[in-house]
Amino acid sequence: MSETTDQPVVETPEGAGKSDMIVLEGVEKIYPGSDAPAVSQLDMAIPQGEIVMLIGPSGCGKTTTLKMINRLIEPTAGRILLDGKDVTHVNGDQLRREIGYVIQQGGLFPHFSIADNIGVVPKMLGWDKQRIRARADELLHLVGLEPSTFRDRYPRQLSGGQQQRVGVARALAADPPVMLMDEPFGAIDPITRDRLQDEFLDIQRTVGKTIAFVTHDLQEAVKLGDKIAVFATGKLEQYDDPDTILTRPANDFVSDFVGGGAAVRRLSLVELAHLELHPIETDEKAADSRNGVAVAEVDGSGKPVSWRHLPGGDAAAVPLVTVPLSGTVYDAVDVMLDGSASLVAVVDEEGRAQGVLHWNDLVGGLRTRKGHA
Amino acid sequence: MNYLDYLTSNAQQIVFLTQAHFLVVLIAVGLGSAISVALGLAVSTGEPDPRRFSFDWFAAGVREGGLVFTAALLTVPSLALYALFLPFTGLGVTTAIIVLTVYTLYTVLRNTVAGLTTVDRAVLESARGLGYGRMRRLLTIQLPLAWPVILNGIRVTTLISISIAVVGAVVQGPGLGILLLNGISRIGAANSFYQVLTGTLFCLIVAAVFEIFFAIVQRLTIPRGIRV
Repeated sequence: MSETTDQPVVETPEGAGKSDMIVLEGVEKIYPGSDAPAVSQLDMAIPQGEIVMLIGPSGCGKTTTLKMINRLIEPTAGRILLDGKDVTHVNGDQLRREIGYVIQQGGLFPHFSIADNIGVVPKMLGWDKQRIRARADELLHLVGLEPSTFRDRYPRQLSGGQQQRVGVARALAADPPVMLMDEPFGAIDPITRDRLQDEFLDIQRTVGKTIAFVTHDLQEAVKLGDKIAVFATGKLEQYDDPDTILTRPANDFVSDFVGGGAAVRRLSLVELAHLELHPIETDEKAADSRNGVAVAEVDGSGKPVSWRHLPGGDAAAVPLVTVPLSGTVYDAVDVMLDGSASLVAVVDEEGRAQGVLHWNDLVGGLRTRKGHA
Repeated sequence: MNYLDYLTSNAQQIVFLTQAHFLVVLIAVGLGSAISVALGLAVSTGEPDPRRFSFDWFAAGVREGGLVFTAALLTVPSLALYALFLPFTGLGVTTAIIVLTVYTLYTVLRNTVAGLTTVDRAVLESARGLGYGRMRRLLTIQLPLAWPVILNGIRVTTLISISIAVVGAVVQGPGLGILLLNGISRIGAANSFYQVLTGTLFCLIVAAVFEIFFAIVQRLTIPRGIRV
């Protein structure tokens, strides 16, 4: 923990060796009877296995762009390449069977059972019944729904969150390399949405799809995206990783769009595990060292319960709050505000203290650990 | 002669006329529904793009025109329509069935169009996104989801047809209208009131049989996921 660097908190993850799965070349959409293009001269490449969030105000062309990838909307000009293959003029229905598609509220077929809903694309592709059923069960597992309970139910018997999970399972059914998601979590209550987002990231770690994801929620874009594409009236204004979008907006539009909350939003990008934390002592023998190290009282299982000594502070007056090492700085700030504490003990999975994060660190500049950024 | 005596002595004729009435309604509703549902399916596939001329515009034109035309037909008094067809198709079953079929069109067409066009757009959009072609979408998504509404239209039109079929007796069409017309024309004479009463009661029986039939059809054909 002694080596530190002066690099910014999060580095740009370079997709080294990744090929581009989705490529848009000079793509343009002009709706008939309209002069202004909905999307004009768009060049964009989405590397394999990454989640790209398309974001922007209403009418900015983000949904049009998404729907041109599977040609639900036919581009007026330009080329679309999927995995190096030009798909601008292939049969649209065939193409869409090879691309996962999820919309708001799932769009499940109300008269199909859950298993049948998941099986629609495999069925069109001519899989046999047994394989379709096995695949449906496998996917229900993956999205956290017990197959024996859910496979024979109908959509209306499921909650919105459950329906959305089935929507994701249906899109994954034929194991397409590419998924398109059109505000899938837009109509879901904030608590369920948060959980679905976490699960979605978990699933993505397993399946590693190339995903284009339309959202109007910047928080969601920052949380889920490997990259964010900010659109304004048919033009791509900036296409970068979330940290760059937040810290170095390319122009006034992006900076206005990102808004005043950028600095706070950025906190959720910084994982505590990657930070250089202040040391913490929990030993009895350290109690009198008075060398600027925070000392915590621990209970029988080694979990810190209160402060014994704080450098330059009244240990008794400060409540001891903890945050898991797997969390982000955003979580740490949340805990500090909640507990009215100016510092927080970062604990590992067993609840043992690993370090301390001070309120002052936030304004003084966070330090990342070498090799972890 | 009391009513029971009348019933027993005329049982054969009453049963025959009831069966005929049932069949005329069944045939007319069957024909009319087939025409209306087929037309509805053909013209309700898509929303016309307001900025571009396409098949959808033609379909929308046929749809709205068809609705106006069949609605107009429905408002023509049945007595007049039977009479108007006489010069072309003559007296008898043919005229009775043609006119009755005409009266079934509007309700079924209206309900078919309403059922097909009010299917949840999100469902159709996701079907398209998953690679459903136009035909597959129409037959496996739109039609099953619209079916309860269409079936209700057929059910209502059947009930209306049972009473309109009575008027068919003026062109010597088959059914309970013969009994009613006969009774009315001889009102005051022997058994004339019994004839009117019988015609009315057995129309109700025909209606009850159809209602039971539709309850069963509904149970069997509406998918479980959308049954109320």
